Order: sequence, then structure tokens, then C-alpha cells
Amino acid sequence: MVKREEIAHAADLIKIDLEEHEKYFEQVEKILSYFDILNKANIESEDLVTQVLPIEKLREDKYIVYGEKLIEKLKNYKGTFIEAPKMI
Amino acid sequence: MNLAISAVQYVEEIKNGNISVEEFVTKTLERIENVEKNLHAYISVNKNALEEAKQIDKKIKSKEKVGSLLGMPISIKDNICVKGMKTTCASKLLEDFVAPYDATTISRLKSEGAIVMGKTNLDEFAMGLTTEFSYFGPSRNPWNTSYVPGGSSGGSAVSVSANECIASLGSDTGGSVRNPASFCSVVGLKPTYGLVSRYGLVSYANSMEQIGPITKTVEDTAFLLNTISGFDPFDNTTIESERIDYRKNLDAGVEGKRIGVVSEMTGEGLDSAVAKASRRAISKFQELGAECTEISLDFVKYAVATYYVIAVTEAGSNLARYDNIRYGFDFDVEGYEFNAYIKKVRKNFGPELTRRMILGAFTPSAGYAGKYFLKALNVKNKIRSQVKQAFKKVDFLIAPTVPVLPFKLGEKIDDPLALYLLDINTIIANLSGIPAISVPYEIVNGLPVGIQLFADSMQERALLQAAYAIEQTTNLPGVPM
Repeated sequence: MVKREEIAHAADLIKIDLEEHEKYFEQVEKILSYFDILNKANIESEDLVTQVLPIEKLREDKYIVYGEKLIEKLKNYKGTFIEAPKMI
Repeated sequence: MNLAISAVQYVEEIKNGNISVEEFVTKTLERIENVEKNLHAYISVNKNALEEAKQIDKKIKSKEKVGSLLGMPISIKDNICVKGMKTTCASKLLEDFVAPYDATTISRLKSEGAIVMGKTNLDEFAMGLTTEFSYFGPSRNPWNTSYVPGGSSGGSAVSVSANECIASLGSDTGGSVRNPASFCSVVGLKPTYGLVSRYGLVSYANSMEQIGPITKTVEDTAFLLNTISGFDPFDNTTIESERIDYRKNLDAGVEGKRIGVVSEMTGEGLDSAVAKASRRAISKFQELGAECTEISLDFVKYAVATYYVIAVTEAGSNLARYDNIRYGFDFDVEGYEFNAYIKKVRKNFGPELTRRMILGAFTPSAGYAGKYFLKALNVKNKIRSQVKQAFKKVDFLIAPTVPVLPFKLGEKIDDPLALYLLDINTIIANLSGIPAISVPYEIVNGLPVGIQLFADSMQERALLQAAYAIEQTTNLPGVPM
């Protein structure tokens, strides 16, 4: 069983504020304990089998000037700048 | 004028000059105006639709090239970018985001002369299967407005079913095209992973999602697939392959085909009405000359856990980009400590996103990755190899699209795990990359039941032939509104 502190820690890592959300703990606990069904899945090897597909036709890695069109719809857009909240 | 015509019939009507694009689009806009207050299929409607229709009529008159879709009104799920239109993903964090470019599927539709009627409702960032997790409020099932339309492409399925457009594009990460198609009595296809470009689709779980058509008939699905499929240099996961005309030989039938009835998807946990409908569909296939045998895929019992572990892990990473700085809602300009600012932004995610963010932080974290994420990837490989083995014995797999009938709004919203479990019959296609289609099969007590067929990778043509064969045996009523 996963401890509540561990869920709180994960939430903190991904910057989700859980203060007002007691019910999320219960739901997340319930879902995680359902995920434990995977323990029963008999896998021959624990090593991850990955498939490497060669990609031969990559696009040319070229810088394309997009210009103002890309940013004209952004909010709080001033000149070539975007106004953002002040961070400290 | 009859708005309940298929894409194929629409093209005929326009070609024969029986109707003009302008007339059809005007009637469609009136229809939207009349039914939207009850259905809420659309988040936004294209204000230029009528103007675009007039332009296409002009081109038709002067015999200019207009493409095979001839001004066909098509709706687009609001997580696919359409240049100059809002693409909100039904989230507060993108409520004012205007896409600066067209997704590849959109530029292909436009080059064939389609008109984007509007952007349709979905569960926030396509996470859910009822459309109730939309920041803008739920869509409703046109067959009975007290019921959910399914999801996450609920708005798309509603708009097609209720004749608010001819066809639609949705996205399917775990069943999000097929589930609402089944609940709203329309056709929904999840193509092979890599058959359709994902460029311009807002990412949720990149390794599993595909854009797919939602239409009134199987032939319409083939028609749209002809337009949207194929290699795209902007999406390196697309497959280079020979161009196929999916409409050709659609009536080839299923004589001599082998169909595997998946035991794990047709036994326990099925609603009795759904079970009966699926048994009838199986006997119908036998009457049509197919050979149906029971087939067991025992790893299906791990599919829901496997799918959700992978989906939340990818979602946690994809959603981390939304910082609400370039677009989103307005913020006080006061000073913030960085972590506090991000936390404040993320408070605006809806409940399902919040849950999946927490889960998505947990499953790949140090100490748990082996137990959850890496284990899930291994089980996914095992599922994939079981599915591949199955296709050595049979041509298609069959199961009901959703194990239950449509249910009432609010009925399951507080039990996320119960909702996840309803994905059991659709997610195999996403975990193994194979194509799957939901075809309307019955109406039970006024509620639609869909039947689902799977084929091996890149076997869309055969899949559509089988779907067409079963579709021809049905005679379903039109939507009751």
C-alpha cells in the first residue's frame, strides 16, 4: 500500500497543490492499488524490450523565420515581448 | 432539405446541382442554432463558414478545381489545430489559444474543399469518456439528452449524429473516437498508429493516440480516410506506404473470413443488452459466410492498468508545458515565487487532469518506476505479441465497443476507476497500434449499441470491408430530434 506522504510528495514534485483536495488522495490511492494488478502479470524477463526503428528521412534541421504571425495572437503581447507575471 | 445525408450522398447532390453549398451550410447553421442549447456539441462555430461556402459555389460554377469534398461541412475536435480558430482542448488553460497553423489532417481536408463548421467539445485535454470533464460543460446524447454521449470526442459524435455537420474528426488515445461513436450510433475509426499524421494534434499520450474520422456510414469513413491518411514529413511516426483507395471493393464481403470472438471482452462484466446485441452480430457474420471462433487473449485483464499507467505518465510530461504565460487566463502582475506560481496555475486544471497529473508524477518516480511504468511497458509488449499471434489465426477480432449502454450524466463522475474500467474493450487497439472500428448495430430502449472490429496493422481496407458487410445488415432509425 502506497503511503499518503508518498502521494503528497509526487503531487508536490509535479506542483499540484493538494491542500483543498482530500478526496483526490482517496481516489489516487484506489487507482494505484488497482494498478497493483500488474504485479500478477507474468513477464518472462524484467528487462525492457525496446524496438529501435531507424528513421532515415528526417526533415532538414533548418531554422525557419516564422515572424510575427506566430505570436500575434498571444495574450499580453507588446512589441516583440510577452508580458508575464513577475517571478522572484 | 435533408441534412441527414451521408458524405457520399452530399457529394452526389452537389455534383448534380440539386443543392448548393451555400444552401446546405445555411441549413446546417440553422440546425446548429436550434439544437445546440440541448446538445452542446460545439465549443465554437466557424463565423466564416457561409462565406467559404459561397466561394466554393463560385468555383464550382466557373468549373475551377474544388477537390473531392465539394464544400462538405466537417466539425473538428477542439484539440486539433485549425488556423485562426480557437483550440481550447476544453480547458481553462487554453481558453483563448488561437492556433497559428493547420494540423496536417486539416490542411488535407481543406485542400479537398472541406469547410470546418466548428470545433467540438471534449473532455479536458481528451481525458475522459463522457465529455463531462469539459471546462465548458458537458455535451448531451441526442438519442436521450439525460444521457452522456461518450467521450472524449463526445462533441464530434453528437455533431454527426444530430446532423450538425456531415462528418467529424476526433482523436482516439484509449477509445475516444469509438466510445462516443458507439454511444451516439455513428461510425468511428481508430486507424493504425502512424497511418494518420498527428501534427497539430495537442499531445496527451503520444505513443498511443491517433486522429480518426467519425461519420454516418462506413463508406464515409473510407472516404475521409482517403483524404487524411498517409506519410507526413512533420510527423516522423507516420508510415510511408502505398496509397490505397479505401472505397474501392468496399462490398467485398466476409465470405471465408475468420473472426475471433475475444473471450475476455465478451464475457463477465457485459451489460446483458450489450451481450445480446454482440451475440446477434456474431451470428450475422456467420450468416454472411464468416467463420467465428472464440479466442482468448489472457493479458487483456491487465490492459486497463497497463494503459492508464502509460497514459498518465505521458500526460504528466505533456501537460507540464502549460505555464499560462503565452496564452490562458489573466493573472495579477504581482511577484510570485516560481513553484508557487506554477501551483497556482495548475489549480485551474479540472479534477480528471489533477488526478492524472498526480498519478503521472508517481508512476515513473524513483522507487516506483519499476513497479508501475516499466512493468506496464513490458506488459504492453506482451499484449502486442498476443494480438500479433491472434492475427496468425484470424482475420478480425470482434467485441462490443463499450461493455455497457450509455448512462446518465453525473452517474459515474465521482468514481474515476469505474470509468477507467469501461475502456477495457477499446484500449487493446491503442496498446498494440492496430486499427479498430465501431459500427452502430442496435438501438435498445432508445439507446445505441455499437459493435467493434479489430484488424492487424495497416489492414484498414479489409477492416472497412467487414464493417461495411455488417452495416448493410442493419436498418437503424434516425436520431429522434
